[in-house]
This record gives sequence, structure tokens and C-alpha cells, in this order.
Amino acid sequence: MDVAIVFLPLVGAILAGFFGRSLGDRGAQLVTSGGLVLAALFSIIVFFDVALGGNARTTELFTWIDSGAFELSWALRVDTLTAIMFCVVTIVSAIVHIYSIGYMSEDKSIPRFMAYLSLFTFFMLMLVSADNFVQMFFGWEGVGLASYLLIGFWYEKPSANAAAIKAFLVNRVGDVGFALGIAGAFLLFGAVQFDVVFGLVEGQADASVSIFGIEAHALTAICLLLFVGAMGKSAQLGLHTWLPDAMEGPTPVSALIHAATMVTAGVFMLCRLSPMFEYAPVALEVVTYVGAATALFAATVGLTQTDIKRVIAYSTCSQLGYMFFAIGVSAYSAAMFHLMTHAFFKALLFLGAGSVIHAMHHEQDMRKMGGLYNKIPVTYALMWIGSLALVGFGIPGVTGFAGFYSKDIVIEAAYAAESAAGGFAFWIGIVAALLTAFYSFRLLFMTFHGRPADQHAYEHAHESPRVMVWPLYVLAIGAVLAGAVFYPYFVGDAREAFWGNSLLVLHDIIEEAHHVPFWVKAAPMVVTVIGIALAWLFYIMAPSLPGLLAERLRPLYLFSFNKWYFDELYDRIFVRPAFHLGRSLWKSGDGALIDGLGPDGVASVTRNLAARAGKLQSGYLYHYAFAMMIGVVLLITWYMFRTMG
Amino acid sequence: MVIQALVFYLFAAVVVASAVMVISARNPVHSVLFLILAFFNAAGLFLLMGAEFLAMILVVVYVGAVAVLFLFVVMMLDVNVAQLRQGFLQYLPIGALVGLILLVELVMVLGAWVLAPGTVEGSGMPIPDPSQVTNTEALGRVIYDHYIYLFQAAGLILLIAMIGAIVLTLRQREGVRRQSISKQVARQRAEGVELKDVPSGGGV
Amino acid sequence: MSIGADIVAALPELFLAGTAIILLMLGVFMRDISTRSIGLLAVAALAFAGALIYLGDGRGTVAFNGLFLNDGFGDFMKVLVLIGAALTIVMALRGLEQEQMNQFEFPVLLVLATVGMLMMISANDLISLYMGLELQSLALYVVAAFRRDSLRSSEAGLKYFVLGSLASGMLLYGMSMVYGFTGSTSFDVLAQVFASQEDAPSIGLIVGIVFIAAGLAFKISAVPFHMWTPDVYEGAPTPVTAFLAAAPKVAAMALLVRVLMGPFGDLVAQWQQIVVFIALASMLLGSFAAIVQSNIKRLMAYSSIGHVGFALVGLAAGSEAGVRGVAVYMAIYLFMTVGVFAVILAMRVNGRAVEAMDDLKGLSKTNPLMALAMAALMFSMAGIPPLAGFFGKFYVFMAAVEAGLFELAVIGVLASVVAAYYYLRIVKVMYFDEPVEAFDKPVGSELASVLAISTLVIVLFVLIPGPIVDGAATAAEALTSAGR
Repeated sequence: MDVAIVFLPLVGAILAGFFGRSLGDRGAQLVTSGGLVLAALFSIIVFFDVALGGNARTTELFTWIDSGAFELSWALRVDTLTAIMFCVVTIVSAIVHIYSIGYMSEDKSIPRFMAYLSLFTFFMLMLVSADNFVQMFFGWEGVGLASYLLIGFWYEKPSANAAAIKAFLVNRVGDVGFALGIAGAFLLFGAVQFDVVFGLVEGQADASVSIFGIEAHALTAICLLLFVGAMGKSAQLGLHTWLPDAMEGPTPVSALIHAATMVTAGVFMLCRLSPMFEYAPVALEVVTYVGAATALFAATVGLTQTDIKRVIAYSTCSQLGYMFFAIGVSAYSAAMFHLMTHAFFKALLFLGAGSVIHAMHHEQDMRKMGGLYNKIPVTYALMWIGSLALVGFGIPGVTGFAGFYSKDIVIEAAYAAESAAGGFAFWIGIVAALLTAFYSFRLLFMTFHGRPADQHAYEHAHESPRVMVWPLYVLAIGAVLAGAVFYPYFVGDAREAFWGNSLLVLHDIIEEAHHVPFWVKAAPMVVTVIGIALAWLFYIMAPSLPGLLAERLRPLYLFSFNKWYFDELYDRIFVRPAFHLGRSLWKSGDGALIDGLGPDGVASVTRNLAARAGKLQSGYLYHYAFAMMIGVVLLITWYMFRTMG
Repeated sequence: MVIQALVFYLFAAVVVASAVMVISARNPVHSVLFLILAFFNAAGLFLLMGAEFLAMILVVVYVGAVAVLFLFVVMMLDVNVAQLRQGFLQYLPIGALVGLILLVELVMVLGAWVLAPGTVEGSGMPIPDPSQVTNTEALGRVIYDHYIYLFQAAGLILLIAMIGAIVLTLRQREGVRRQSISKQVARQRAEGVELKDVPSGGGV
Repeated sequence: MSIGADIVAALPELFLAGTAIILLMLGVFMRDISTRSIGLLAVAALAFAGALIYLGDGRGTVAFNGLFLNDGFGDFMKVLVLIGAALTIVMALRGLEQEQMNQFEFPVLLVLATVGMLMMISANDLISLYMGLELQSLALYVVAAFRRDSLRSSEAGLKYFVLGSLASGMLLYGMSMVYGFTGSTSFDVLAQVFASQEDAPSIGLIVGIVFIAAGLAFKISAVPFHMWTPDVYEGAPTPVTAFLAAAPKVAAMALLVRVLMGPFGDLVAQWQQIVVFIALASMLLGSFAAIVQSNIKRLMAYSSIGHVGFALVGLAAGSEAGVRGVAVYMAIYLFMTVGVFAVILAMRVNGRAVEAMDDLKGLSKTNPLMALAMAALMFSMAGIPPLAGFFGKFYVFMAAVEAGLFELAVIGVLASVVAAYYYLRIVKVMYFDEPVEAFDKPVGSELASVLAISTLVIVLFVLIPGPIVDGAATAAEALTSAGR
């Protein structure tokens, strides 16, 4: 069954990709969606069996590499962590597949799109079920490839191509770190299988390694390298620049890859490697700071963006920051909990936004929307649910949306850590929650309330077809209920039995998080309400206020609007120098030096020689006779000297 | 013996001198005449060695036929020697250099002349006793018997030379009246004679 | 040995010589007999002579008082020469009619030249070597100038003649020196003399060998005695060039191998350097100079210079494997050359022969089959596996490596890379350039069949290498074991 879950999407991808022409659009959609739905059903069964039944297992498929001491096999490691990811990935993916049938109905190359989606799903499942570093890397690169293909799906659009390349390149930076981390792990432990490595971690906890003459704590170095990989995939501060641009891809792609699954791979990886990170406290601290900084940074940027998808993208970035700082304080289960709930409500938001975009005929600028609530009431309602889940709306102690449970436990864990990093993360978390509430409702109000900015588009707005709406209902249910239902298992009392051996926590932070002061529990809720109120004030009550404020605080506004000038900074620091370096290497290094001395040089010398050899052939008889005589004389002279000397 | 040696050196000196003159004389007719002189002296050298047949052949064939033919050709073609000599001086230095090197080397080679130690004595044809067999007969025996293969090959070569000369030079020009003896001989009366009845008083 | 046994021993040569004379008579006395019938009779005679060689294994070895020798090496090379001569005469038939050189003497001269080649190969004495060589050369001088109304043809013939005479002079001079130092012209005696010699031979002898090698190198057009080749190839009528490039090269190479490996077989250390030098020079010049050629006949001239250089690499090894390599190489060279010239002979636009490389442009579109055959030949010439040309190079280079001549082998491989450039350029011109005027069709059954035969030999060699490789092995064994 594990095998079926992983390989059904691959089969679908192959069928749709290679035989799409004979299957037709409808056939491709059926094959891939059917496969995914089946996989999702299996995943739920596996979830009950493994996570709730406690039947963790590893299925060996076949030997992959057997080279001296380096042995590894393809294997599917299914424990609670994997089972959760199986569910999240396959359910969201199945929903996105079905949604895509409607969303992409007017596209020219539907089979290709469906094949890419399924291929992505396969790689993602490969990643989460990996039993060793190398297989994980395989899945890791695979999702990177699929992401590249999907972002650049509309390859006629130059901006889509550029975004695809950017995503790929920025991820390369992270992948280098990941690959180095794997190599380091192999160096230190002599194995790449997770079980073997985890077994050896404790013994190597104090090992040090010399890097360029600097003695360093080996485990910390490895963990930091691995974290660089996670930063790339999960768009953490510094390596986040690709994520907003990736919104050039079709919206279902954004929902699947850039909200629910791929970007969470970093979080998953860190949780999977919790036995290593637990012995590298410095690395965890770094994770906390980076996560918190990302949460704040992305939230501030989200305040001023006007593209509906970019707002959600920055929101994703910010929420990933939450997950990371949860990991940083060893609250892996909280991170996974947030990952799961986030997958539901963020996919809901994205697909809802997609529905809006669909209604507005592929218009993404929020300033051109407005007043849509009575045109597309279903989408409107669903977006409300999504937004409330995102901001973590709920009544402390009673109940709330999914985000309420997961976000609160994350913030509480940060507080409970009682460290400098934890405190930093806690306060950032509170501020980010305020900002999250503000930009979420800004989005909602700008899109659905107020005056229609574009009357023509407004009049032609229409509700999406059922094939697009029904999947949203499923997600909405998740967004509402996932928190309350799974709270006991993920972070509640049943958590120990639930997680089994899949996570290792040296110091049970969750327990402490349950015993924080009430104001800590209430604070997120309070700031959220304040944020919502502010949004209401700015965009419903006094729509002139935002402009005024932007005018007054122009530097701040511009700073946020231009995403803290990250792209410009990178352009200056990396892109242009690299470009110059490349150009100069190309022109002077390769062109003049290598080509000049190498191929071109040899070729021109050859031609030169050839021309000379041709000139020898003067056509004069006596020249020829002379050449013969000289040849003979030369040979004889040579022999003379040889015998004499 | 002394007289023989003196005559040898006389002949040899004249051969070399006239050979030099052949290639250095300005007038091509003079060149051919010097060539004839060289042939005569070479024949003299043959005579000194007792090869009277070769000496006579040289005089008869080369002087009598080839050289005279050359003379006719030279006189008829009116070759402009000055034009042929163009470039002679230009290449003289390097030519002289190459020639000199070769000469020095060959002198050194001849200076070190030793018959290879393993040489089988008399591996060539035994020379018959001149008092028993005439020169001509001895040559004939060798050529037509022992070296029949080479003789025939030489014949083929001459055949090719003949064919080649004909192929490359013989032309059947249109409009040229040439004598065809066989045609003349085979001519019948009927072809040349036409009888006409001439009416009386009408004229021809 | 009685004269009867001698005649039997030299039966193929005698038969061909007699046939040539009979054909000459036929041509002279039967006014209305066409050149084509004479040519076909000549081809039949060549085939019959080949059959005589093939079937007459036991026809005696040494004949005519030691002047003439039959052995396995000679038989192999003779068969090659006869095949080359026959194929090129077949190709020439139509060309003769088109080029207004329709004279019956042409096939007769070629048959006589072939007789000369067979005599060269069978030579067992310096004098018979020279006779065969002159018989061959004189006939070739004449056919090179055969189109007497064409200035280029006459010039080619004259150049060939004058330089050939110079080469003959060198050859004779070298022979006289060898005779002077050993007292004999017979190969058997020479071999005996050198075998019994302990110390290094005198310098005079070596100079003699150098002169002999120079004279023979002229015939195979090895550098620096190659100068006549491009001019004569270009100037001579194409049917003649085809003939020149094929059989005489094989015969002269066989002669060189026989002389150096036979009588001078014990002096390998002495002559090896000469051969290495001319092999190197030929490979390099043949490869480089061909690059700038635009006339395909001239290009083929340089190509043949290069190929001779490659074949000499095998000879430079001075071993049985080397001789086998040379034999294989020359056999493959023969078929490649004949095939390429079949294409060149087919290059006629509106009844006029063209010979620029640009005229091949887009041949793949105007005549795909011919282009395919030509491409196969070019790939083979460039030495690209699995075509025959690769194996030719493989055998000679292997022999050189076994003999420790690593530098020679390496430079040879590099030269073949350079050479690949212009061979592949022809393929590029045929396949990727815009077509120019198409060649006249049909090309004629003679050309088509010759092209088909040679291409098939080249392509199928990898599957059926037996006839050539085994034959060459037997030939090499016969040559190297005879003198010892």
C-alpha cells in the first residue's frame, strides 16, 4: 500500500505525459486525478494504521548503490511523520488535481500540466518516505525540477521563464548546502541511512571537524549545512526571493507546491532529522532566529503588496517562519501540527484566490477588484474561512479554527523555551500575528468589499464551476476542523503514543507550553482582533487612510513594498558581479585564451600550415626536382652525421 | 701500360670537359656537337677496356642516329636558349650548395669504399675468355639466354615508347591530302575512268 | 631450369603482354573495332590473368635465372593490382568516349602498364625491378598526356616524365652503389651478404639504399618526392587519374616493401629512419595541404599522399605484422580510391566534367544513393569505425606500437584527425549545403557498379574481413619468412 501511494502518481504522470496525445485531455485528467484520489484514500488508511495504530515500518524496494562501503537501497520508511506528510501531500494534491480540471480547462496543454502535477507529487512522496539521505536528495531535487517545470508552465511568458529559472537557481544555493550536509554526515557517520546515522548521533555528539583550519563542532556544522538546504526549499529569509516570483505559475501550482507541500519540505526535513538537531543546540538557535526573522519580514512585506497571490505567498513565507522557530525551540510536533493545518487553510486560500482570479478573467491585482462578495458568494465565504484559519481565530480555552490551535501552541512553545532565542521568537510571533491579521483582512476587504474598481470586470465576474468549488469545501472542512480534531494527537495528551519513535525530543517543551501564563495564551488572539479591526478601519471605514499613511511613512512603505530591497541587493551583490565575472571569463578567458589557444588557435595554425603546404606546390618543374634533390641530400646528410657521430 | 694510362686520362678528360660544355654552351647546336664529342671519347674508353662491340654500338647508334636526330631537332625548333636559362642564376647559389654537399658526401662515401665482406666472389656472370669468344657473341649469349627476361622487358618498353610517340604526335588532320599507297595500288579502272559518249559535233 | 618452366612461372605476365600486343593488332588492323570492345577485352584479359594467379599456386617460385620470383606476397599484391586496373579500366570506358580520347591505344597502354606492375612485384633482382618500373612508368607518362589537345594534360605528362626520369636516375644511381659495394644485383645474393655481415654496413651502402628508397618513394608519391602528384592528378584526364591513384600505388608500395624487407631485410635498423621520416612527412603534408584544396582531384592527390604515409607506418615497423598492415591498408586504399574516383567520374554537368568540391553541394538531395556511397567512402578514408579504413589504420598503427614506434603512431593518429577534417567537409558539403546543379543522369552502369562494389567492400569489411586480412597475413608471412 505504501508502494501504491508513492508510485500511483508516477504511473499517472507517465501515462499523461507520454501518452497524453492518445489519452486526450479528459483521459489525462482522469488518469492523474484518479490515481491521486486513490493514493489519498490509501494515505488515510496508512495514517490510521501507522500513526494511530503505531505500525511504523520500512519497505525495501531494491538495491540502488552498492559500491564498497557505500550501500543503499530504495526504501519507503513509513512512520508517523511520513504518514502525516502522505496525507497532507496526497489529499492536497488530489484536490488540486481536481481543481485544475476546472481552472486549466481553457489551456492548450492539459495533459502536460497534469503530468507535471503528478510527477511533482511522486517526487514529494519519495522525499517524505525516504529512508536515507540520498533518496531524500533524489526527491528533493525531483520536486525542484517539477517546481521549475510548473512555474515555467506558461513558457510563452518571459516573466514565467525568468521566475522558473530564479526558483531553480536560488534553490541550487540551498541544495549545495544540503549536499554538503549529506557528505558531512557520511564523513562523520560513514553511512547515509537514517537509522544508522541516528543510532550513532549520540556517540558523535562532541566530535569536531576541521574546516579550512577552523575547528568546529561537527554536528553543528552538518546541521547548519542541512538547514541551508531547508532554507532554500522553504524560502526562509535570505533564500526566499524565489517564492513570490514563483506565483507566475498557474494558481493550482501555487496552492500545491508553494503553499502546502514543497515549501514545507524544509520543515519536514528538520523534523525528520530531529535526532541530529537535538544534539546541535547552536544550530537550533540559528534556526529559531532565522525562522522568527522570516516570520516578521514576510508579514511586513505582505502588508503592502497588491497582487493577491503575492500577498498569500508572503503569508506562506511568514507561516513557514513560524514553523521553523517552533523547530528551533525543539517543538517539532508543534511545527508539524502547524504544517498540517497550514497546508489546509493555505491551499484553501490559494485556491480561493484562484477562484477569484478565474472570476476576474485572470486579473491578479487587488486594486482592480472590489465588491465581489455578492458576485461570487461561495468563494467569498470560503475565503473568510481560510482567512480566519490563517489568522488563528478562536476563543482561547473553548475552540477555534485550525490555525488557532497550531499557531498558539507554536507561540506558547517559544515562550516556554525561556531562552533568548525563544523570547525573541515569541515577541516576533505576536507582532507577526498582528500583521498577519491585518494583511489577511486587507486582502479580504480589498477584494470583496468596497467599490468595484473595474466595472466591466465586475459585471462579468462569475462563480467558478462546481469542479473547482467542491474541492474547496473539503479544504474548508480541514481548515475549520483539523486543529480541534488533531490537537490531542499532535501536541495534546496522546502525543507520545502518536509520534512514537519518529521524533526525538530531549526536553519536552510541549508539556511546558501547556503551562504558560494565560496572557501568553490570550495575546495572539488579542493582537489578531486588533489587526482585524485595523484592517476594517483602513479599508472599509476610511479607505483614504492607507494612502495617507503611505504618504506619511513613505520610507517605511517603500521599504515594505519593495520587499526590503532584497532583490535589488542580490542583484547588486551576486547577480551583477557574477554576470560581469561570467562575461569577462567568457570574453577574455574562454574566448581569447581557451578558444584562442585551443580550438580556434589550432584550427588557424592548421589552416596556416595548409596554406603554406599549398604554396610549396608552385607548379614549376625545377622546384619539384629541386625538392626531391634536397630531400635526398637531407636523408644522406642525416645518415652521414649518424654514422660519424 | 703507360700509354694505355695516358690515353685513358686523355679520353676521360675530354669526356668530362665536353660534358660540361654540353650544358654550358650558349648555342644549342654547339651543345649537340659537344655531346657527339663526348660519345666518341666514351667509345674510346670502351675500346680501352676491350669492349669493342659496345664502342662500335655507341658510335653507330648514339652518334650516327640519336645525336644527329638531336641536331636536326635543335636546328628545326629554333630553341631560344636565353629564355630557357632564365632563373638559372637565381637558383645557382642554392643549387650549387646542394650539389656541393652531395659531392662532398659522395666523396666521403667513395673514400670509405670497401667491398662488403660477405660478397660472394664472381656472383655476376663469369667473363668468358676473350681469345675464345668474340665480344659480340659473349654479349649475345648473355642477353638472349641468361637475361632473356630483361631483354623482352626492354622490348616491351620500346614498344610502349613507340606507341606513345604515335599516340601523342600522329594526327589525322582534316583537309590534308596524303598519299595512301594501298589505295593507289588497289584502285580499279572503274573508279578513275568514266566513259562518256560524246555526241559528234557537240563538243565535250 | 628449362625455359618451359620459366614460361609457366611467369604465365600471367606473359599472357597479359601477349594480349596487349594482340589488342594492339586488333586496334590497328580492324579499323571499325571500338575502343569499348578493346577495353572490355583488356578487362577480360586482366580477369583471366588474375584467375591464372589465383589458380596457379604451384607454378614455381624463382624463374629466369633468379630474375623473377613468385611468392605469396607477390600473388596477393598482383591480384590487388589486377583488380584495381580492371575496375579503373571499366570506369574509364565511358569517360574515354565523353572526353574525346576515344583511342584504342589507351586500354593497350594500361594493360602494358599493368604488366610492368606485375613485373615490379615479382622482381627478384635490381635490374628486373628497374625494367618493370620503367615499363609501368613509361606507359603512365603516355596516358597522363593522353589528351594531347589539352595543355594541362600535356603539362601533366611532361612533368611526370621529367620528374620520373630524375627519380629513375636516383634509383639507378643507388643500385649502382649497392652493386659496387656488394658485387651483385640479385636479391638472394644481397640478402645472403647482409645476413652474414656482423658489423654495421658501410656508409656507401646506406647511401645507395637512400637513393633506391628515394626513387621508389617517388613512385608511391611519398614526401618529399611527391611534388608531381597534385599537378599530375589534376592535369591528367580523370580516367587516367583514377588509374594512377589505384593500381600503380599498390604495385610501387609492394615493390618498396619487397626491396626493403627482402634483400635489405637485415638492415632494418638502417632504413627504418628513412621510412619513418617519409612516413611522417607524408602523413603531415597529406593531411594539412589537402585542407585548402577546392579541386577534388587535387584533394585526392593529397589524400593519396597521406594514405601512403599511413601505409608506410606499417613498413617502418619492419615486422611481419607491419607488412601485413601495409598489405591490408593498400587493399582497402585501393577500393576506397576506386570508389571515390567513380564518383568523381560521375561529376558531369550538362555533358561537361566538373571537379570542384562545390559541385558536390547538396548531392544528398539530387542523388541520394551516390551521396550515401560517397559519405561511406569518406568516413572510411577518415578512418572512422566500423568502416574498413579504420581497420587499415588500426593494423599499421598496432604494428608501429608493437615495434616501439610510439611517436610515429601518435603523430599518425593526430594527422588522421586533421585529415578527417577535409573528408568530413565533403560529407558536410554533400549533406548540408544547398544543392547546385544536379549531375547528369544516368551515370552509367559501369560507374554505378564499380561504385557499388567498392562501397560494399568498404562497408562489409567489418563483417567479412577474412579475404583481405587472411590474404595479407599469408602474404606477410611469405615475405618475411623467405629471406630468413
